[in-house]
Amino acid sequence: MSVAVKFDTVSRRFDTEVAVDGIDLDIQEGEFFAMLGPSGSGKTTCLRLISGIDRPTSGHIEIFGVRSENIPPNRRPINTVFQDYALFPHLKVLDNVAYGLLVRGVAKPERHREAENLLEMVKLQGFGQRMPAQLSGGQRQRVALARALINKPRVLLLDEPLGALDLKLREQMQEELKTLQQSLGITFVFVTHDQGEALSMSDRFAIINEGKVVQVGSPQEIYQSPRTRFVAHFVGSSNVLSPALSSRCNGVENWTSLRPEVVVLGDPGQGRIDGKVKSIRYLGASNYVSVELGEETIGALVNANEMTAPVGSAVSLNWTADAQHLMDEE
Amino acid sequence: MNSTTLTVRHSSPGSRLTDLFWKKPGLLIFCLLLPPLLWLGIIYIGSLFTLLLHSFFSIDEFSGLIRYEFTLKTYAELLSPANFDVILRTILMACAVTLAAALIAFPIAYYAARYANQKMKALFYLGVMLPLWSSYLVKIYAWKLILAKQGIVNWVVEGTGATFLLNSVLSLPVIGGNSLAVSYIGTFIVLLYVWLPFMILPVQASLERIPESLLEASGDLGAAPKQTFRLVILPLALPGVIAGSIFTFSLTMGDFIVPQIIGSSRRFIGQAVYAHQGTAGNIPLAAAFAVVPIVVMIIYLYFAKKRGAFDAL
Repeated sequence: MSVAVKFDTVSRRFDTEVAVDGIDLDIQEGEFFAMLGPSGSGKTTCLRLISGIDRPTSGHIEIFGVRSENIPPNRRPINTVFQDYALFPHLKVLDNVAYGLLVRGVAKPERHREAENLLEMVKLQGFGQRMPAQLSGGQRQRVALARALINKPRVLLLDEPLGALDLKLREQMQEELKTLQQSLGITFVFVTHDQGEALSMSDRFAIINEGKVVQVGSPQEIYQSPRTRFVAHFVGSSNVLSPALSSRCNGVENWTSLRPEVVVLGDPGQGRIDGKVKSIRYLGASNYVSVELGEETIGALVNANEMTAPVGSAVSLNWTADAQHLMDEE
Repeated sequence: MNSTTLTVRHSSPGSRLTDLFWKKPGLLIFCLLLPPLLWLGIIYIGSLFTLLLHSFFSIDEFSGLIRYEFTLKTYAELLSPANFDVILRTILMACAVTLAAALIAFPIAYYAARYANQKMKALFYLGVMLPLWSSYLVKIYAWKLILAKQGIVNWVVEGTGATFLLNSVLSLPVIGGNSLAVSYIGTFIVLLYVWLPFMILPVQASLERIPESLLEASGDLGAAPKQTFRLVILPLALPGVIAGSIFTFSLTMGDFIVPQIIGSSRRFIGQAVYAHQGTAGNIPLAAAFAVVPIVVMIIYLYFAKKRGAFDAL
């Protein structure tokens, strides 16, 4: 496997603000790569640097091994699905999709045929003669996808493409995008602030915070052993145990993380540590139980029909030794 | 459960009136619109109608009195070579001013909409609006001095040794003249200057409304900057250009002061109307002349509306 996009100590500054701060990153060819981070973390700027809409203030971006700083966006083998879709309001859907071929001088019958094919692929056959304003949000999103794919890019960038869709449609599109990426075999770089999307769709993802890559890895790696407190909080809802609490639990005086679903409740004195039930949140299939341990709390995800201890009662908490992961403080 | 009593505060006449408006919103709208509707209905539409009516009367050649009988004789007179020349001249000038205004306004508006920062934008608005706040007549007389034979333009031209260039332009038939101040070129320059702001502002508004992401998407899809301009920016800015052209076109067509002060002795429609209703006392012909710009503008607006020009106002 070769590297599709390589960040080599890339920075992007805006006046006084640093949006991207010395990022090193390899995105492999053919993988579904996600960039996850809170808003303002610099992930969209990373995408704009790859597409060439924006340029780094220092460092280099290599695209398939070629330094890209002197290649304008219109000459990169990369296309983007924009966050607001950016469909041309004065062009019919078919002409929107065919735009990439139009600017390359492809004749009308051929580019319209190709555009029809792509509309069919995104399940919008028969919509070609409409204007973008006549489409729903989900349909516009598909048109944007078809338009970005018409030039057969080697890398497709997606900037929070599902952000504006409602939950049901979002889940459906997640599956479709994943299948599409696998059948096309091209590299997808997907920016999102939704950890569920990053976990369920990507082969690997990077967590970005304040312009820096905090952790890169497969969803399993990052979910099970977050490297920092930020990652633990951001990806799912891991418990973060302070060095003091960690040493009381298993003798390791360091910051550790603990998934709530591995914590087992028991009678007082039966587990690693005792505490008092502070609150119970009913989540349908399970209950999220917050247990107070002095200053800190640990959350446990308990099967809904196994839950017996009421709020205020004393309980013990237990888990297997390897469930607790060491991490850095920051 | 405790029952709470709703206390109605004692109402003054003013609050009784607002209560009434609240109960009958239609009444409020009626009261708000009545004065302007009366104004528009009686003073504007009424006088327009009277004008239209007069154009279907004729003047008695012997007594010089208006004969109040329906006739198309006045309109036939309008098509006589001398009068038709006036119409043609005016429409051509309006077209030329509009075209030139669009060409000059576009880059200025583009800069203001796409590149200017907050401070430069304030300066831009000031620069565009400032001429509109000073007296129309003062501006035109200033231009007369600028364009006159002893004026600054001639002085610069002589200083740079380009006199032969100016002379060859001024020696052109029809549009030339003794100096810029007494030629159609001068009329054109001054009309362009006075109406240019009315083109810049709507074009700027339409350019500002194009989302940045559309231009980025175009480049991302492989369009070179000039293709983006032709395929995205221009079509989306066109309604603004048309909206601006409505102003420059109609204002040029109706103007009678600029050609009076700067230009040759050949008349424009506005001057014809002024002369016929004043010194000549030929109200029907003046009315018929005044109908021409109205008809031209109705046709123009019809096509402009079809292109979505009013969305950019």
